[in-house]
Amino acid sequence: MPRFTDRAWSPYVSGVLIGLLQVPAFLLIGTALGTSSSYVTVGANLAELVDPGVRAIDYAAKHLDGAKNWWQVALVAGIALGALLSASLSGMRRRGIAPVWRRALGTSSPALRFAVAFIAGFVMLAGARIADGCTSGHGISGIAQLAIGSIIAVTAMFAGGIATAMVLRRA
Amino acid sequence: MSVPVAMLIGLLMGAVFGFALEKSRVFEPGIILGQMQLRNFQMLKIFLTAVTTGLVLLAVLHGLGITKLHPKATIYSADIVGGLLLGAGIALAGACPGTVMAQIGVGYRDAWFTLLGGIAGAVTFTYAEPVLKPVLLTSTTGKLTLDSVTGAPFWILALAFAALLIAGLVALERWRPWQREIGPDADGLSGAEPEPGAPQPRRWKPAA
Repeated sequence: MPRFTDRAWSPYVSGVLIGLLQVPAFLLIGTALGTSSSYVTVGANLAELVDPGVRAIDYAAKHLDGAKNWWQVALVAGIALGALLSASLSGMRRRGIAPVWRRALGTSSPALRFAVAFIAGFVMLAGARIADGCTSGHGISGIAQLAIGSIIAVTAMFAGGIATAMVLRRA
Repeated sequence: MSVPVAMLIGLLMGAVFGFALEKSRVFEPGIILGQMQLRNFQMLKIFLTAVTTGLVLLAVLHGLGITKLHPKATIYSADIVGGLLLGAGIALAGACPGTVMAQIGVGYRDAWFTLLGGIAGAVTFTYAEPVLKPVLLTSTTGKLTLDSVTGAPFWILALAFAALLIAGLVALERWRPWQREIGPDADGLSGAEPEPGAPQPRRWKPAA
């Protein structure tokens, strides 16, 4: 029986739990599980502070307000809280930079890792917004709805990920 | 539904999501990069298990007419270009747009830069969207799904696809037992020494 204080659960227990979140998403919110459009909601609201004209862009206007958009922002914030709670219960909180990066990047420079992380986040969200979904929206939710665009996007995601990862050192 | 109620539901759902991501270890950059380097298959297991669960749930909920589906529009160019960029970003971030928040929650410092980069990327896309829309983001086919294309009922195809994925997961688990895959520090690294000359990784050990 999985316990809250366990260091790790079987991927099948965790995977089923994540999949079960589709029930409240579909029945309470009327949408599928997703995370990447929350970056637009947060980003566009920040942009509006300095550029009120951003609302004139339809895409921004669609993401600036409303229950579904802010539901997803809260969902993404909740991920950080849930992970903190889980790691605190199991004594698995982390510090600094994961050891894998010293191996994969061949340096322990935090500045280099921070720069790579920023660029990676930028490319990741640009890609997710072009494709209109990420690992959750296209992956977990899109494939579960048998959407052909999602199956293509996830295949491209793994292709792009594998091609890029092969350039890094094997950790 | 009012915004505060929706946000309360989101926060609770997110907490469950984050708890499951942390317990599954799939938020670890070593596991995500490891998946993309094809030396660790933990991410695929969790991903396909969540997809399978969704397929079964939606087969029932949609089959009984309790919910309608919300598939995304099929736009081949955007799905391919966006997917490739998304994957490249995931490999270099060692995170997805969702798991980066779990990394922040447990304390990884670099995840804050991934998040900031992500917000900057989303804002840049927002300003570029009117220009990209006619060339890259316009669907000519609408929302194609396997059931709409074949004419078969959604629930039959969803259950058949779920059965196929379960068979794949059983084979994957036999090939790579998960307890061995997460490694001694549950971060997807084998714990083996890196090649000579490489900087020694500092391993964080939980308090006894």
